[in-house]
Amino acid sequence: MALILSVLEQGMIYGILALGVYITYKILDFPDLTVDGSFPFGAALSVRMIGEWGLPAVLTLPAAFFGGVLVGMCTGIIHVKLKVRDLLSGIVMMTGLYTINLWVAGTGYVPIFNKETIFDNEMVNSIVPSYLFQFKNVVIIFLITMAAKYLLDWYLRTKSGFLLRAVGDNDTLVTSLGVDKGLVKIVGLSIANGLVSLSGCLYAQQQRSFEISIGTGAVAIGLASVIIGTSLLRKITLIRVTSSVIIGSIIYKACIALAMYAGVSANAIKLITAVLFLIILVIGMDKKRR
Amino acid sequence: MLLLSGIEMEEEKKDMIKKVSVLMMVVITMVMILAGCGSKEGYSIGISQFAVHGSLDNCREGFLAGLAEEGFVEGDNLTIEYVNAQADAGTAALTASNFVTKKVDLICAIATPSASTAYNATMNTNIPVVYTAVTDPVAAGLANEDKTSVGNVTGTSDVLAVEEQLGMIRRILPDAEKIGIIYNTSEANSVSAIADYKEKAGAYGFEIVESGVTAMSEVSLAAADLVNKVDCITNLTDNTVVSALQTVLDEANKKNIPVFGSEVEQVRAGCVASMGLEYYELGKQTGKMAAKILKGEVQASALEFEIITEPSLYVNTAAAEKIGLILADSFVESAYECFDEIVVE
Repeated sequence: MALILSVLEQGMIYGILALGVYITYKILDFPDLTVDGSFPFGAALSVRMIGEWGLPAVLTLPAAFFGGVLVGMCTGIIHVKLKVRDLLSGIVMMTGLYTINLWVAGTGYVPIFNKETIFDNEMVNSIVPSYLFQFKNVVIIFLITMAAKYLLDWYLRTKSGFLLRAVGDNDTLVTSLGVDKGLVKIVGLSIANGLVSLSGCLYAQQQRSFEISIGTGAVAIGLASVIIGTSLLRKITLIRVTSSVIIGSIIYKACIALAMYAGVSANAIKLITAVLFLIILVIGMDKKRR
Repeated sequence: MLLLSGIEMEEEKKDMIKKVSVLMMVVITMVMILAGCGSKEGYSIGISQFAVHGSLDNCREGFLAGLAEEGFVEGDNLTIEYVNAQADAGTAALTASNFVTKKVDLICAIATPSASTAYNATMNTNIPVVYTAVTDPVAAGLANEDKTSVGNVTGTSDVLAVEEQLGMIRRILPDAEKIGIIYNTSEANSVSAIADYKEKAGAYGFEIVESGVTAMSEVSLAAADLVNKVDCITNLTDNTVVSALQTVLDEANKKNIPVFGSEVEQVRAGCVASMGLEYYELGKQTGKMAAKILKGEVQASALEFEIITEPSLYVNTAAAEKIGLILADSFVESAYECFDEIVVE
């Protein structure tokens, strides 16, 4: 049971990250490495707010989101105004954010074990009876993830959302509509990194600590989730793409957790993950070849 | 027409394969979860070690020896599952939650990141966590300022013997002015140790020159730069730098600068000397604490964390010879243990 809860918690937290990666990678066709920096940024900010500043945990959610939005805007400005290539603007931001994150958090490792978090505070503890405590995290994460997902779905159906999708597919269409495609890209990057940062904020509160290295490989996990989700659940039209991305994240985390549970050595986990990833890609790829 | 139906059949086959493989994955999942629910005889302990280097390995061996002395022998009435996180925080977290799923009787966490992930994973459970090689449990959030525990977690701390190390360096190098320290900026144990060093160095007439790195790959550049500015280098219990010790020694040897270690394995590997902790003993002490908890004599929350107060002098005469450093005979004889060769594993 603990295994299932852990997989669902991690899967959904990284699901929000995957939503962000989905926007930049699939919609904007922009491989955004900023994620490796904005994920820990949300974590650092929330830990600083809860730990040193003693602010109520619920404020960390909007703070992390808008912090991520700012980060995404910077990446966008570097790419659009300074004309740096997509991959490189992400790398520039990711590198710079290492220092900024250390600065925001205070040091490379900040525990917040005894502080109130979004999962463990007076309000929540008074509503939930103690025998259901182990489910607290999952339910709260589920609510936040669903909120993020539905907001994103709603956004993608607005005019701004359509322009976002157009920029990725055929940006001349956007220009022909009289809209600045650079601005649309910046908006997309901002929203995506806002989501990633929100995901980092939840991660730090679930782990009750901030560690500077949590960002390494975040973009890889996000991409894996997006591709697993979209490949495996492509044919099921009932599930919207955003949901399939979150499910993909849960599946990815489940594979790793199961591998470890089955006694696979920690060293081999990455190889096993790669093999699983390959199998899933191949199964999902068949359609495209026709 | 025939071509179309041929393709359709291919698609159906692929669908079938997909469905069967998903079904198989589900079945395997359920079997594994159910298998894990079975009970084992005796006690089970999960050991979560953060990285592979001598000091941590010594802790683990000491831990097992300490348990054995108290009657818990692996294979007899004790099952041990040992997972090394290879210096990856994500793996440490996964390991901890894995141990919780398997409902081990106790988790032994070696080094700060393993300790904090273990504590986090066991917060809503009854599984006690006994840590070792955590330099600053208070900064890590595992203990209060007065050494009492914050929860079902306790252990031993390898707090550095800074005063004794500074005193030893002064004895060996009466004229030295600057001590260099390389550390990983993201290891909290190192950050607090640097502050400690800076506070105490003045009294011994030293100035600390620090060089921060973010990953093992940066150590060689940092070392090459630092050796030009200082008279000697001393190590902290920094997992990154200790893992890259040979790189530091290489650069220091080129300039004939001594490197002082923080524990015996480093001296064995080529550091000139150290006022160090015997990590094996620290591990043993931890093992005995764990045994008390397993026997039910005491709860982890009631135990204060323990430290080893007496550091021992370790000397490596071969390392001193290599850089042309002369050590007084009386000094070498006063050592707890003296090595006359450099052993690189």
